[in-house]
Amino acid sequence: MSTLRDRMDFRQNAADAVKDASLRRTMRTATDVFATMRTRGLNSLPIDTWRDEASAIRQTILDDLLAYLDQFTAAATKAGAVVHRARDAESARETIFHILKDRGVRKIVKSKSMVTEEIELNPYLEHRGMSVVETDLGEYIVQLAGEPPSHILAPALHMNRKQVGRLFAEKLGVEYSEDPEVLTRIARDVLRKEFLAADAGISGANLAVAETGSLVIFTNEGNGRMVTTLPKLHVAVFTIEKLIPSLRELPTFIRLLPRSATGQPLSSYMSVVTGTRKAEETCGAQELHIVLLDNGRTGILAGEYREILKCIRCSACINVCPVYRVIGGHAYGSTYPGPMGIVLTNLLEGIDKSHPLLDASTLCGACVDVCPVRVPLTDLIRRLRERRVTEGLTPMAERAEMAAFGLVAGSPALFDFAQRVSRLSWPLLEMLSGPGTLERLPRPVKDTFRRRMS
Amino acid sequence: MRVHLFSTCLVDTFFPETGEAVVKLLRHFGAEIHYPKGQTCCGKPPDSAGYAKYARDAAKQFLTVFEGTDPIVVPSGSCASMIKNHYPRMFDDDPSMREKAEQAAARTFELSQFLVHRLAAHEADLSSRGKITYHSSCQLARELGVKREPLLLLESLRGAEFVEMPNFDRCCGFGGTFMGKLPEISMAMADDKAEAIVATQADTVTGCDHGCLMNIRDALRRRGANVQVKHMADLLAEGL
Amino acid sequence: MNPTIDLFMQNAPRVGAHAIFAENREQLASTLLNILADEESVYFPCISDLEKTLAAGCPRRVNDYFGATATVEEATAAIAETGTIVSTSAKGRPVQATLLPAHHVALVSRTNVFQTVDDFFASCMDPLPANITLITGPSRTADIELTLTVGVHGPKRVDIIVF
Repeated sequence: MSTLRDRMDFRQNAADAVKDASLRRTMRTATDVFATMRTRGLNSLPIDTWRDEASAIRQTILDDLLAYLDQFTAAATKAGAVVHRARDAESARETIFHILKDRGVRKIVKSKSMVTEEIELNPYLEHRGMSVVETDLGEYIVQLAGEPPSHILAPALHMNRKQVGRLFAEKLGVEYSEDPEVLTRIARDVLRKEFLAADAGISGANLAVAETGSLVIFTNEGNGRMVTTLPKLHVAVFTIEKLIPSLRELPTFIRLLPRSATGQPLSSYMSVVTGTRKAEETCGAQELHIVLLDNGRTGILAGEYREILKCIRCSACINVCPVYRVIGGHAYGSTYPGPMGIVLTNLLEGIDKSHPLLDASTLCGACVDVCPVRVPLTDLIRRLRERRVTEGLTPMAERAEMAAFGLVAGSPALFDFAQRVSRLSWPLLEMLSGPGTLERLPRPVKDTFRRRMS
Repeated sequence: MRVHLFSTCLVDTFFPETGEAVVKLLRHFGAEIHYPKGQTCCGKPPDSAGYAKYARDAAKQFLTVFEGTDPIVVPSGSCASMIKNHYPRMFDDDPSMREKAEQAAARTFELSQFLVHRLAAHEADLSSRGKITYHSSCQLARELGVKREPLLLLESLRGAEFVEMPNFDRCCGFGGTFMGKLPEISMAMADDKAEAIVATQADTVTGCDHGCLMNIRDALRRRGANVQVKHMADLLAEGL
Repeated sequence: MNPTIDLFMQNAPRVGAHAIFAENREQLASTLLNILADEESVYFPCISDLEKTLAAGCPRRVNDYFGATATVEEATAAIAETGTIVSTSAKGRPVQATLLPAHHVALVSRTNVFQTVDDFFASCMDPLPANITLITGPSRTADIELTLTVGVHGPKRVDIIVF
């Protein structure tokens, strides 16, 4: 079972990641590739207009979420699906488990779903005697390695080809190769057998369409298609805010989501799954169970940080984040890394259990520049930092420093005094703050600019 | 024309020569300078860290001291953006302060913005020497939209060669309090920035924010690189 | 050819599919024969008349897509904006037939080529089939070091004949 690192140890986890030369190299290459692909993919397109549209569509959903959920439920049910509402992780796991157990399911194939990571579904099912095989290549790799994913789209981003080659040789007993083509072919053969032998498929959904009760799933590999059509039983899990109103709004996201994620105009496959096998149809799932998971979303919706719920999990913000680039995904100790991860994790898990992540940002704004649904990420991070202060979770020394700052900034005489004091006490401050910080700064001067101008 | 000069606390405390360079530049273009004595700090550090009250205290001092109608010139992208983009929202619950904030925001210019749009300094045959590269600081570019102006100024310099560094607009890792709170990450980001600078073989790296430049200078020092780090104001004033 | 079809023929190769325009049925049949030259076993769903006719003329046809090396299917539609072909489960079409074999050959009538994704979805009528799949090029992954590999769980090669 793969465990997440402790978020409260974020600084240490990040420091360890920074020292890992192999990880640094891998992350550097990966983020450079994402950047190139993205620039190429967006060249001369009216992206800002699309983003405004997408943001408005997502806001429409949030403004009336319960009504849209009801509409989705009715439409999906009419199309043959059974729709379950799960309040939290525990009830989602139990619901899914019972659906599977009641049908004697033993072997399950999964396509990628961050929400199933969030609720820790795999270990729950495995402890109860079921086998769960991840079929997205990156997920399959981290599953073999016993690690959590480090990126929401490319789960094995933190591993290089040599590491994957060694992993396959060790776990699958194949001859060592570091050629991605060879490794992919090995995985394809192993997983095809699993697809064909599976009793059930579990997937997420990138989006769900309220009017038609449809699920929309983007993949490049084809595993999403396999998982949702080969086994007789398909269980789909996603969080309640993933809706769009109708098929009319889908094209905006078709244009934005793959481009934001990887720079591709469209992923190889996009499946629109509407209920179960119809009368004259010959294949596809005979049973479709949809689990709509809340797990804190209605709470966030009611609060002042609700704009994070516009997020469509495209990973654009993660790919451009200069902090993520240097520390990778595991250092965040959360299902969701990077800018959207900082915000969502603090809201889902509580600021008291996640607030060190709030510091993992310089507020540089690169994420705001790329978010396809215009989530005001730097704003949300700053406002969560304000919440951290009002909840008394900041260190006393920092609160004292900031209070002193407030006094000093409000009074020029005190400001001048503080400048003199800091200059005179610099050697002492250097000693107290330990190596590394003050030596990176210049020394305060005696002849300040305000003195020269008076 | 008359301008109000906001030197910023970094210039005031650590880099007064940049303040003098700004004065020299503005006077060269015929501007008369008023330096309000009661100025302190724009309040960005507490604002970014979540201490809204102390940020407001700083903002109130600024807005009181800088009342007027003349342009306010600021040799820092992050401070200028603080005033232009953040002061108004800080006073959502106080209509009269909000009004003052909006007025101040409308008159505030980052230095390179002012030099290009109000003084046409990029057409004034300024000069420099050597190979120069440029770091685009984050609030300057993304919040103020100041991307072309510094480049126009640098490309216009007679006697100097401008060379673009890879990923010139990627964050350097300063981030105000970030530098002190997460120094390991900050230094790693600065190292990557230093590597990009060294790759250009430039003699000088310049930028519009002393916060970034301090962090970059430290990274270049740690790697033993022989590259000068100069604020845009110092660089341009040298050639006068 | 009209501008929509021109656009489709331009965009399909950009996403890694091969696209050919057939003026008439004879050209369609001979093009198909060329494309299938190296295939050991070819599956046709035999749902549309065109599929039935072409299947009859194919010596290496098989009745099951499991284990077939290629599938030839008449697609529901094509989308010019993205170089996409659309396959659905309507009329009893087996959706896995275009997924499991390594080679997918799609036939699409020129009257079913839509300009944009919006146009295609506007044409979808209630009730929707259980499965609508937009296929844009071969299957791919970049999960190992972001290095592109073509042909993962789905087909490695996609040919499209617009007739």
